[in-house]
Amino acid sequence: MKELEKTKRISIAAILAILAIVIAVLSFKKPKHLYAINTKDTLEKITTYDYFISLDKINNPDYVLVDLRNQHEFDKGHLKGAIHVYAPEILSEINSDILKDLKENSKKIILYATNPNEAISSYMLLYQLGYDDIKILCVENSYHQNKLITKMLV
Amino acid sequence: MINRKLAKFLSLQYVVLALILILAAAGLLLLPKYVKHEGIDTKELLSNTFSNERYISTDELANNIVNQDPSFILIDVRDSISFKKNSLPNAINIPLKKILNEEASAYLDQDQFDVVLYSNTNFYADQAWMLCNRLGYKNLRVLKGGINEWFHTIINPTKPTENMPATAFELYSFRKAASMYFGVAYLDAIPKKVVKKVVRKKVKTVKKKKKKKPEGGC
Repeated sequence: MKELEKTKRISIAAILAILAIVIAVLSFKKPKHLYAINTKDTLEKITTYDYFISLDKINNPDYVLVDLRNQHEFDKGHLKGAIHVYAPEILSEINSDILKDLKENSKKIILYATNPNEAISSYMLLYQLGYDDIKILCVENSYHQNKLITKMLV
Repeated sequence: MINRKLAKFLSLQYVVLALILILAAAGLLLLPKYVKHEGIDTKELLSNTFSNERYISTDELANNIVNQDPSFILIDVRDSISFKKNSLPNAINIPLKKILNEEASAYLDQDQFDVVLYSNTNFYADQAWMLCNRLGYKNLRVLKGGINEWFHTIINPTKPTENMPATAFELYSFRKAASMYFGVAYLDAIPKKVVKKVVRKKVKTVKKKKKKKPEGGC
């Protein structure tokens, strides 16, 4: 009788322990996007000011232009060969797959938007996520009679 | 004999199990170091970044300064040279490079005041904002357009043309009044008013005479 009670207790304890482990494993969810670079290093990077690139230097097969503006503006007109990634959806599954692919193929990502002011937040976000080889294109885009006008900024 | 050996083994098994557990625990130490992630979740940072809540317009800011609102502080994130050249009234200079220093966090990481960051445009202020927002600082705002926008709208507002709506004129007069508060002198502002007052008085006296005449007749 005593023996039986002992095994009963042990089996209950074992089942509880296994349950706890299973629940722990199931509920463990690794966040998809993690910071790779801390704020101090990011600050050091952004105060070197070497993350700008001018329009005449982008003729390189390893460079990929990424348009951060919205769908409507992208459809209206965009720079040649640009990929469309709408800035607020930059972490969505499709977009992060695109960016990851570019990074793995060691392409340089060059961001542009209506002006550098609008591209900087995306740049900061991507940089902190570990995309350390990206640049901002120094241009200002506007439309004149439905044609994209790209003005170079100094 | 066999029984004894079995008993000995059985008594040992707890020791062995305990040893296995201890070894497993020791194995945890050898796992790759878990990098502690600094700051708020990336998704949260993204949604904070693309909401326009952080921007404060130059008109709002001018209104706050003119009304001497004590609940906010202005922080200039440009370098000290351009800060000395021109800056907004009562601003504190914390260059972008020093934004993560301990002295700076005394200003930035608190919940007593609204903090308005600005630079020449909103470019560098946005960078400072991104870093501070990741660290979870609250009450941070960015002046939309920065000093350049401030100059174009408040200090040197463009006159609305006649075909513009009445709100444009209201805005213009507010901006003009604000710029006078900040020390801009308008050549046409003072003499015209004096002339107008004299004219009005004359008109009033004429009206009174007209009214009195019929009263006397009755």
